[in-house]
Amino acid sequence: MAIALVASFCVSLAVGAVDIPLSQVIDTLLGRDVPETTSQIIEVLRLPRTVEAMIVGAALGVAGACLQGALNNPLASPDVIGVTGGAGFGAMLIILLFPESQALLPMSALFFGLLAAALVFFIGFAGRGGGNITRIILAGIAIAALFSAATAAIMAAYPDRVPNGIFFLVGGLTSTGWDNLQQVWPYFLVGFVLAVFMIRPLDRLMLGDDVAASLGSRPRLIRLLAALAAAILAAAAASIAGLLAFLGLVVPHLVRLMGGARNQTYVMPVSALTGAALLTAADTLARTVRAPIEMPVGPFLVLLGVPLFLWLLRKAV
Amino acid sequence: MSLGRKTPEFDDRAPLLEASKVRVEIGGEQILESASLTLEKGELVAVVGPNGAGKSTFARAFCGLRRPEGGAIRWMGIDLSELRGRRLARVRAYVPQRAQVPNGVSVQAAVNIGRSTHLKPLQGLSGEDRDVVSESIARARMEGFEDRDLSTLSGGEMQRVQIAIALAQGAPVLVADEPTAQLDLGATAAISKMLRELVAEGMGVLLIVHDLALAAAIADRVVVMSHGRTIATGTPQAVLTSQLISDVWGVEAELVQREGRSALHVEWLDRH
Repeated sequence: MAIALVASFCVSLAVGAVDIPLSQVIDTLLGRDVPETTSQIIEVLRLPRTVEAMIVGAALGVAGACLQGALNNPLASPDVIGVTGGAGFGAMLIILLFPESQALLPMSALFFGLLAAALVFFIGFAGRGGGNITRIILAGIAIAALFSAATAAIMAAYPDRVPNGIFFLVGGLTSTGWDNLQQVWPYFLVGFVLAVFMIRPLDRLMLGDDVAASLGSRPRLIRLLAALAAAILAAAAASIAGLLAFLGLVVPHLVRLMGGARNQTYVMPVSALTGAALLTAADTLARTVRAPIEMPVGPFLVLLGVPLFLWLLRKAV
Repeated sequence: MSLGRKTPEFDDRAPLLEASKVRVEIGGEQILESASLTLEKGELVAVVGPNGAGKSTFARAFCGLRRPEGGAIRWMGIDLSELRGRRLARVRAYVPQRAQVPNGVSVQAAVNIGRSTHLKPLQGLSGEDRDVVSESIARARMEGFEDRDLSTLSGGEMQRVQIAIALAQGAPVLVADEPTAQLDLGATAAISKMLRELVAEGMGVLLIVHDLALAAAIADRVVVMSHGRTIATGTPQAVLTSQLISDVWGVEAELVQREGRSALHVEWLDRH
């Protein structure tokens, strides 16, 4: 998987509206002498976007692994804790109501994504019997429905501006340089660090709440922190790449089906690599299929991911 | 872990576990009114009682899985409320009644997770930890099963893996809630023998069982519970009198001693 990631990284830098030979890509990365335009294309346009794709892909892979472990539910994805619905609302709010403040879009998506997750956690974890998995999931579905309805309402109110939002709603990366990442990188960092620390507690939880408790962990706290890591990563991902929750759902499954093992020590890091490779590959397709027109990456991700997933699924059952 | 407060030292001379007058309410209902017991090194104590007497709730309370509303619980002289995380994990291991059986996890990986209580976050298993893991697997009589997926094991084998996970914790006390409830006679005998071996090595073992015959056969002492209270404690012969069995279970039965073994004779039906 690491090889797949390196390969998709290099190809992603090489192909596009202008194809650049791989040798020149490597020369640019190593700071050797290459034509000015070539290094411009790579450093200003393609490198930031490829790095974005890798970080977003890794974040969604890890978010999915965290959530599926925390909720002990193979259907869990960032949708389930409301992040997708909240981020979608936050982005559409800017696109439809305040189109002149486009620069605020990532922060708005991030804010509402985290707000939705916070509401879900509050309802799901507060009071007696809090931390119950069914309660968290139902709270998530309710909050997600609420934000989706709000999004639909503002879309109905400003139908003429809706096309501007499609790129975000289906998930798409843009070649806007390092600006987006500069705004949200601390969230990615916090999310990834927290997720790494949840690997062992989630492994314990896999053996059951009582075994985890016997080993000195607190199952409720593990659930909350792992879901929090997932929420931060998914909201940060949505803020720069739109709604790609499908990736969060499917990547951990791909990883489990490929390797067979279920422990997070394996699933989480490999999910990061797989998510990064898959999104980078899909984004390369999205940029090149109808070059120079750039398509949103979401449909291409599904196009790549679903056949792979179904093929593995068929083998497994 | 609170800052600025000295962590108290374990007292080797104190009983492994001392629980007195433990009280638990669930949803406003008193499940446990007053339950007490002590456990010493090298001793197997069985908590017995009818279904719904509060045995499992008591075990969860003194193991720190559920906060009690009242009473005192001390592990090797230290109050349970002072024990958290890794320190609590090192004093007692709890084997739950029904194990969650994930697929895609090997016996080896599961027992490794049990050993993680000895590691700091992000620290890997040392050579010494790996030795303890292999030894735990051997003590639970699961050698040769290391690479088997948990989902392929039988009930008895899964129970032994649970015990191996608990042993890898390296705690002096093993608490097991109905470890043999769903096992056949052969598997029950194998687990019982293994638990006696652990006791012979100096561990304290606490069993929650509803099977009186089993308790009488393997326990050094029994603690009888009824309606949320511990009502009697002592050797099986001294405590499990026909009178007490009749009072608590409503069954006519008698504990019979023959050639150093005890057996429970039950009058199942009045058929003549």
